[in-house]
Amino acid sequence: MAAAPETIARVAAPPHQGLWSKAFHKFCRDRAGLVGLWVVVLYAIVALGVWLGLWASDWAEVTGPKWGPVSAEHWFGTNLIGQDIFARALYSTRTAFELGLVVAVLSTFVGAVLGAFAGFFSGGWIDELVLWFMGVIDSIPFYLLVAAIAFSLGDSPYAMYIAMIATFWVGTSRLVRGEVIKLKELEFVEAAHAIGLSEVAIIFRHILPNTFHILLVQATITFVAAIKSEVILSFLGIGIQDGMSWGLMIAESTIEVLAGFFNNFIAASLLMFGLVMAFNMFSDALQDALDPRSVR
Amino acid sequence: MLEVRDLAVEFDTEHGRVRAVNNVSFSVNAGEVVGLVGESGCGKTVTGLSLLGLVPSPPGKVVHGEILLDGDDLLKLDEAGMRRIRGSEVSMIFQEPMTALNPVLTVGYQMTEVLRLHKSLSQQQARHAAIDMLGIVGIPAPSKRIDEYPHEMSGGMRQRVMIAMALSCGPKLLIADEPTTALDVTTQAQVLDEIVRLQHQFEMAVILITHDLGVVAQTCQRALVMYCGQLVEAAPINSLFASPLHPYTQGLIGSIPRIREHKIERLPVIEGMVPDIAALPDGCHFADRCNRVQADCHERSPVLTPSADAGAVACWHPLEPQHD
Ligand SMILES: Nc1ncnc2c1ncn2[C@@H]1O[C@H](COP(=O)(O)OP(=O)(O)OP(=O)(O)O)[C@@H](O)[C@H]1O
Ligand SMILES: [Mg+2]
Repeated sequence: MAAAPETIARVAAPPHQGLWSKAFHKFCRDRAGLVGLWVVVLYAIVALGVWLGLWASDWAEVTGPKWGPVSAEHWFGTNLIGQDIFARALYSTRTAFELGLVVAVLSTFVGAVLGAFAGFFSGGWIDELVLWFMGVIDSIPFYLLVAAIAFSLGDSPYAMYIAMIATFWVGTSRLVRGEVIKLKELEFVEAAHAIGLSEVAIIFRHILPNTFHILLVQATITFVAAIKSEVILSFLGIGIQDGMSWGLMIAESTIEVLAGFFNNFIAASLLMFGLVMAFNMFSDALQDALDPRSVR
Repeated sequence: MLEVRDLAVEFDTEHGRVRAVNNVSFSVNAGEVVGLVGESGCGKTVTGLSLLGLVPSPPGKVVHGEILLDGDDLLKLDEAGMRRIRGSEVSMIFQEPMTALNPVLTVGYQMTEVLRLHKSLSQQQARHAAIDMLGIVGIPAPSKRIDEYPHEMSGGMRQRVMIAMALSCGPKLLIADEPTTALDVTTQAQVLDEIVRLQHQFEMAVILITHDLGVVAQTCQRALVMYCGQLVEAAPINSLFASPLHPYTQGLIGSIPRIREHKIERLPVIEGMVPDIAALPDGCHFADRCNRVQADCHERSPVLTPSADAGAVACWHPLEPQHD
């Protein structure tokens, strides 16, 4: 029983009320955000299952008749060569997560680092250079950029990834740059200088951790943007090169829709819509919860 | 130990180039507590920052001068050399304990960072050293509080953490820029006592920047009085308070509220405004507010000249030294 007084003291101590715990509590009170999060988790499980080979591994095989109807065996029917549409739609979930995660993580990282350096050295040559890059990328239409990169890489499967990262870092970078310009005036940055830290160490260890709430929200926004862009790029033939995706399914369905067969189109659109919608709800709630200006 | 010679710092502003620190010379002996006093904007902080090579640049620039720490000129060091000095040989603590600690990093992270930067310690050793240091500055249960975030601590507690960080590598000189201004009165006294106690314990020199002469009287052995970027008087505490030589110092001392006196009719204040340092008058900068002003004050700038009692004053017509 020697530990008893300490336990009491710990219970009586004021609750941890940091930015993150406050945000967590606020997020938990947001119904839409929670629903969004659970739906995203559900999709993630589906994607993980595909990745582990638990289901939808027969997406490329012909398992039924051409344009087979909805049945217990083929929940969304089959496509024009008899492949199961439901399996293909599930498999595409994995493609979407792969793309979303890779693009979100990398473009957020690039945006954070470039934005932090630009903001920290605002007015200097690094800032000028980063701003110039942002201006250039903003002035090139996105689909033209992807096409250009796709052609220059000789139809590489990475062309779309590279183009998306090259485009999506800009928004994050602008936000981070603005925040860092504010942060670097705070006294703790001066104190970090005064203990002898180098500027690079100050940027990575003291400034970037203070922009984490922005990065988290930006990553979710980028995730959604990547999934939505993939559809159009794949439709145009400069997106996913091998494998299956919702964009490729919709591209495939253009011939079918003319013939009055909508299953492919509906399955892909529905699944994509669900994920994008859920992610947006999650992202909005996250943004609200992490907004330092919000009361409560 | 520290010798500053003819230091001048300028800033580029919209109103042109202003000289925030103008040919300042002073020295600090090992183990000595020196007060640096003056009204707001007279260049105290800039002087302190320049000792660490931290004058924001641009817009600031050290124009000339020497800062000798044990004989080595800090102004001749490159950035990497200066970084080795900061936090280990010379430390600085700031006015705002609320914002001087990084809000998203634990106290422990921030303390071990300094220790590992300047000493070759393992993570575990640094943590032990940090806990010891927190105990020394008077934080209760340091091995628990080390894992807290700054917002879980009070202002006085945070200023103690700042002090612990500043002292953890055993500096020769601590620059404390208004370390207690943001704290309430009781905490102020505690933190000041703590600084004095630690100064003895670690045998380091302290430059205490403040605009509160009362604080100087309590803690310092010597004081430097600044006005508009210049040093106007330097003297040991006893002679400074008993017999100020510069009319400005006299004015500052006169404006300390004396709570114990029953009838305060009107707090004596120094008449007039501090001149804009972008457009300083010729001659003595204090001339327009001085009660001893004479014609020559407006023509020639006085230079700091040694006086009796180990002091120095920059005034053409200083007050008579009072004896006894
Ligand atoms: N970053 C800066 N940019 C431009 N001018 C500056 C800058 N920092 C200081 N100055 C100039 O230097 C002068 C002295 O400033 P300093 O901060 O040293 O005053 P101080 O004596 O510390 O005042 P306080 O008691 O208010 O802290 C100011 O009047 C200002 O004109
Ligand atoms: Mg100041």
